Amino acid sequence: MREALRALSLPAERTAAPPRIESAKGFAHSQKGLLLFVLRVEGLGKRYESRWIFRGLAFSLGAGDRLVVLGRNGAGKSTLLRTLAGLVQPSEGRVELPPEPRRSLGFSGLEQALYPQLTVDEHLNLAAELRDCDARADELLDQVELAYARELPASKLSTGMKARLKLALAIQPRPQVLLLDEPGASLDEQGRGIVEAVCAEQASRGCLIVATNDPTERRLANLELRLES
Amino acid sequence: MSSGWKAEILAVYRKELQTELRSKSGLVTAGLFSFVTVVTISLVLFNKNVNAPGSGLQDISAGLVWVVILFASILNLPRTFLLEEEQGTADLLRLFARPHAVYWGKVLFNILQVLGTATLVSVLFLGFTGTRVSVPWIYVVSLIGGSCSMAGAVTLCGAIVAQAANRAALAGAIAVPLLLPLVQLGVTGMRAAFGSGLVGGGQAAAVGLVAYAAIMLAIGPWIYAAIWKT
Repeated sequence: MREALRALSLPAERTAAPPRIESAKGFAHSQKGLLLFVLRVEGLGKRYESRWIFRGLAFSLGAGDRLVVLGRNGAGKSTLLRTLAGLVQPSEGRVELPPEPRRSLGFSGLEQALYPQLTVDEHLNLAAELRDCDARADELLDQVELAYARELPASKLSTGMKARLKLALAIQPRPQVLLLDEPGASLDEQGRGIVEAVCAEQASRGCLIVATNDPTERRLANLELRLES
Repeated sequence: MSSGWKAEILAVYRKELQTELRSKSGLVTAGLFSFVTVVTISLVLFNKNVNAPGSGLQDISAGLVWVVILFASILNLPRTFLLEEEQGTADLLRLFARPHAVYWGKVLFNILQVLGTATLVSVLFLGFTGTRVSVPWIYVVSLIGGSCSMAGAVTLCGAIVAQAANRAALAGAIAVPLLLPLVQLGVTGMRAAFGSGLVGGGQAAAVGLVAYAAIMLAIGPWIYAAIWKT
C-alpha cells in the first residue's frame, strides 16, 4: 500500500517564470526518512539558463523506502536522478548522501555509456578496483543473467544486455542508495523481472529511487513523486 | 600513497592502455605522423651535412625534432578526456572514481604515449638524417623531461576543455602559453645536445624541463579535482 505523503517543503518564493515542479502528492518525507535518513534533499533546484527544470524539492528517505519519480517526457526525471547521483550540479539546494558515494550509491541511467572496447567482465573488474570493493562478477552476472556474455566487449552487446550490465554495475557495491532511470525501458519481460528482484532486495539494505514513465513500474515503489511541467 | 589509491590509479591506467591497444587509433595516428614527417624532413636534408659547424642545420634539426614530437603528441593526448565526454563514459568515472586517481591514471598513460612517440621520433630522426648527438645526457634528459612536461600540460588542457562548448578555441588559448615555454626549453636543450648551443644553456634547459614537468604534474590533479563535477 502506498504511504500517504505530506507536503513539508514548497518553494516560498515564486519567480517570474513559475517553477516547473509540482508534486501530485506533495513533496515526500517518508516517516522512516525523517527519523533516520539515508538520503536527504533540501531545497533542490535545477535550471538551464532561465528555465527551471525543478525547484524547491525537499524529501528524505530512510532504509526500506522506495520512491518512484513519475512524469511526462522532459519533466526532469532523469535530471533529478543525475543531480542526486552528483553527475549534475544543482542550481540551488543540496543533497546529503551516505559517506563515500562511489561505494554507497549505485546509479543506472539510460544515457550512461559503457566502454566499447572493454568486456563485461572487465567493466565489473574496473568498477570494483575503482570503488575498492569486491567485483562479485560471477554472482552479479548470474543475478542479471548475463554470464554467457561475460567475454563480449560492450560494443557487441544489445541495448538490453547493456542495461543488464549497467544494473550489475549499479548494485555491485551493495549500495545504500540505488537510483534507476527507466530501468525497464530496454528490457524484455525476463529483464523486468530481474529489475523487480533487484528493487525488492534493495529495500532490505537502503533506499531506492526509480524514475519512469511506465505506469507498471509504480509497483516497484511505496512512495511517489510526480514531476509536472 | 595507500594501496587503495595505487589500485585506483593503476585501474585507470590499465583501462586507458586496454582501450588504446584495442582501438589503436592513437598509436596509428602518432606513429604514421611521426614516420611521414621525419621521412619528409630527411628528404629535404638529403645529401646535406647536418653536423657541419656553422651551417645552422643543427639548430633547425633541434627545432624540427620538437615540432614533430609536439604535433604527434597533441594529436592524441587531449583525447583521453575528450573521448570520455564524447562517448558518455565520463559518468562512469565520476560515479566510481576519485578525481586525483583519474588524473594520475590518465597522465601516466599519456607520459607513456609521449615517451613512446619521442623515442620513435628520435630513432627515426637520428637514423634518417644522420644527426650526431654530441652531449647524450642533455639529449636524454631533455627528451624525458620534455615528454613528461608535454604529457602534463596537454593532459591538463584536455581535462579543462573537455566539458567546454567551444573546445577548439579554448584549447588553443590554454595550450599556447603552456606549451611555448616548454618548446623553447626543449629546443635550447636539443641545440646543446647536437653541439650547436652552449652546454651550460643546454644543462639549464634540461633542468628547466624537469622542473616544468614537476610543476605540471603537481598542479594538474588539483586543478582537475576542482573542475571534476562542474
